[in-house]
Amino acid sequence: MSKMTITANGAELYLERTFTAPRDKVWAAFTDCEHLKHWWGPNGWDLTHCTMDFREGGRWHYCMSGKDENGETMESWGLQVFESISAPERFSGTDVFADKDGNAAPGMPVAQLAMEFVEVEGGTKIIGRTTYSTAEELKAIMEMGVEQGITETWDRLEALLAK
Amino acid sequence: MTAATDTLSLTFAALADPTRRAILERLTRGAATVNELAAPFAMSQPAISKHLKVLEKAGLITRGRQAQARPAELNAQQLELVTRWLEKTRTHWEESFDKLDSYLATLQDTPPDPQTPTPPRRKK
Repeated sequence: MSKMTITANGAELYLERTFTAPRDKVWAAFTDCEHLKHWWGPNGWDLTHCTMDFREGGRWHYCMSGKDENGETMESWGLQVFESISAPERFSGTDVFADKDGNAAPGMPVAQLAMEFVEVEGGTKIIGRTTYSTAEELKAIMEMGVEQGITETWDRLEALLAK
Repeated sequence: MTAATDTLSLTFAALADPTRRAILERLTRGAATVNELAAPFAMSQPAISKHLKVLEKAGLITRGRQAQARPAELNAQQLELVTRWLEKTRTHWEESFDKLDSYLATLQDTPPDPQTPTPPRRKK
């Protein structure tokens, strides 16, 4: 099992990880609710709503449910709109926060998402690129110097992005 | 949409400007007045004031209330928010991918052999 690489490159968040599974399986895992419900979301979060219309111009509307620090149930609705699909190699689209009716949340950053599935020795490498609409925003926070008082925050930020 | 994420997008917009980042860097060394901030930038005070307003609205700085000078001060908590948001994004992918890894392993327990033709569907 290879661990994930995640780096900030300009306004782009780049992530890479290799799975020991054939490409068609990994592809299916990303494009079908029956698979997505088994893995999408951080620990403690379940995919409680999932409607997938996987075609160019189609949408994936989903909800993750979990508990916050106080044990309160929280819901996080998201919406992906697919712009281009080239099965089983790559797809791209936008990813936004949404409400339960599938409306994109106004005023929120829109992420441009591109996922690539590359056949490699013994498995499949996923390359994910997430670019945020506010140009330079990730770069901006990386470029700022480490100074007294906020050193800890920067250290964590660096650790976060350097892995 | 929560208040926290809304503030976050304001913060990102505020951080996207190099002058504002430079102002923030200056403020990591302590509070400063508009005069002091304007000096190294070869910029008019109104221009600096405009940037300070954006930073203040994004919660990245606070302004003193003394009549004239109104020194600006860095609000480190807001940067903390940006960091936490990134951490959340990272956690999302990392933990999702860990789950995907295990899930894919369960799928492969019953791999279809590509060399043999697909067996006829079993009737229920």
